[in-house]
Amino acid sequence: MERRDFFKKSLVVAGAAAIGTSLEAASLPKDNAKVSNIAFPQKRPMITYSDRPPLLESTRDVFSQAITPNDQFFVRWHMPEIPTHVDLNTFRLKVNGEVKKELSLSVDQLKHEFEAVEFTAVLQCGGNGRSAFTPIAGGIQWGNGAVGNATWKGVRLRDILERAGIKKEAGWVGFNGMDNASYYETPNFVREMSLTELDDHVIVAYEMNGEELPYLNGFPLRLIVPGYYSDSWVKMLSNLTLTKSYQKLFFMDVAYRIPDNECECEEPGEKNVKTKPIKKMNVKSIIGYPTNNTVVYNNSHVTVRGVAFDQGKGIRAVLVSVDEGKTWEEAILHKDTLGRYSFREFRYSFKPTKFGKQKIMSKAISKSGEEQPLAENIKWNHGGYKYNGVDVVTIEVV
Amino acid sequence: MYKSILLAMLGAVALNAADVREIREDIEIPYISYDIKMGEHFDAVQTNCLTCHSFGYVTNQGPQSKEQWRKKVEKMVVHFKAPITDADSADITEYLFKHYGNGQEK
Repeated sequence: MERRDFFKKSLVVAGAAAIGTSLEAASLPKDNAKVSNIAFPQKRPMITYSDRPPLLESTRDVFSQAITPNDQFFVRWHMPEIPTHVDLNTFRLKVNGEVKKELSLSVDQLKHEFEAVEFTAVLQCGGNGRSAFTPIAGGIQWGNGAVGNATWKGVRLRDILERAGIKKEAGWVGFNGMDNASYYETPNFVREMSLTELDDHVIVAYEMNGEELPYLNGFPLRLIVPGYYSDSWVKMLSNLTLTKSYQKLFFMDVAYRIPDNECECEEPGEKNVKTKPIKKMNVKSIIGYPTNNTVVYNNSHVTVRGVAFDQGKGIRAVLVSVDEGKTWEEAILHKDTLGRYSFREFRYSFKPTKFGKQKIMSKAISKSGEEQPLAENIKWNHGGYKYNGVDVVTIEVV
Repeated sequence: MYKSILLAMLGAVALNAADVREIREDIEIPYISYDIKMGEHFDAVQTNCLTCHSFGYVTNQGPQSKEQWRKKVEKMVVHFKAPITDADSADITEYLFKHYGNGQEK
């Protein structure tokens, strides 16, 4: 390409992008946040949006592997007061409310008196990718990295509740953790789940990837609700309370909600939109290698690596495009050994044949046929939740 | 006799080993100083906002309209029960919009 043509072409592209931002509800999430030079306990240095409460995001390169290492796993707390020490000799998980017998269980009891179960599941913040939305949706402007995948080991919630004896009248179970607000009046980060939603995959975990849970990921116990966004996965879980009816809760009734319509979307400024909790995750893929601005040689073998997941239907295919979305080819999926709630690794090899910028796009399709939409086709919602646009990285071919 | 003491000691060691924790003392959450713009009403921001969250929560929200910022402050009062006076709420909204706004009223 002539130099002059190149400039002309980039002008056209820039023009399209400028128009794009004013018309589209979503573009790509930001991907240039800096890693902090300060590490948090049990963590490598990560993208750090806040120290209090801690908000840590993983960088894109973490997503070239199925299991997210504990020390690179994202962190999101809501309350400023997090216990900085938990004494396992005195820590107890309390079970109360509409039960026949109240329980007070140590972590040791959970480990030795109950059947241990273990499975791998994705944990993702409902606001992951929020920075993609235009106009800006309220909340921390997360990039791509408020998500991770780990193998969790613990005890079935059902087994714990059955030991306490669920009274006939009980309809809901509430979960409370040990984090606290600065003001006594601030609502706790309590979640509730209907007992009808409870299946054997909901566990109280004491281990993450073969280690005790890192403090910032909820030591010593965390609720695991595979397929659901992380606002359901209560950290530092200390209390299970059974109730007859649903209790009003800020974090269920006001926050973490999306429009209750088919597109789960609304116009900015629209009033009186009926909403529902975000609950289950949609299908998504993330490219872990190469990352944006990676430099590769022309005509060399480039192996794209990434992960795909959904709410637990399982991944049928990941398609990759290296020609701006004109044609798509199936990537190779890693053997399905970690189960349907896990990241599924994919890889795709190609040889770049043109110098300059090269886009790589990935699109996951679930076994139920749900397909990752292009970012430009994603409709807006006020909380900026559930972004799952086709992933795109742009590399440099030299 | 010696043998039983030794066994008892070994037993104690084994028990301790089962209890080995990665971190035994308090963890320390590091302090990060987030760059924040100085200006009129900053004192109200400093007095009211920092009690619950860092300035990272301000600077990482992205540029927002005046109404969005007003609602955000309102959320802190209504839902999170922050004891912010009406006068301070108005000042904080002004500050946030001036320094972290998108120039639009709505």
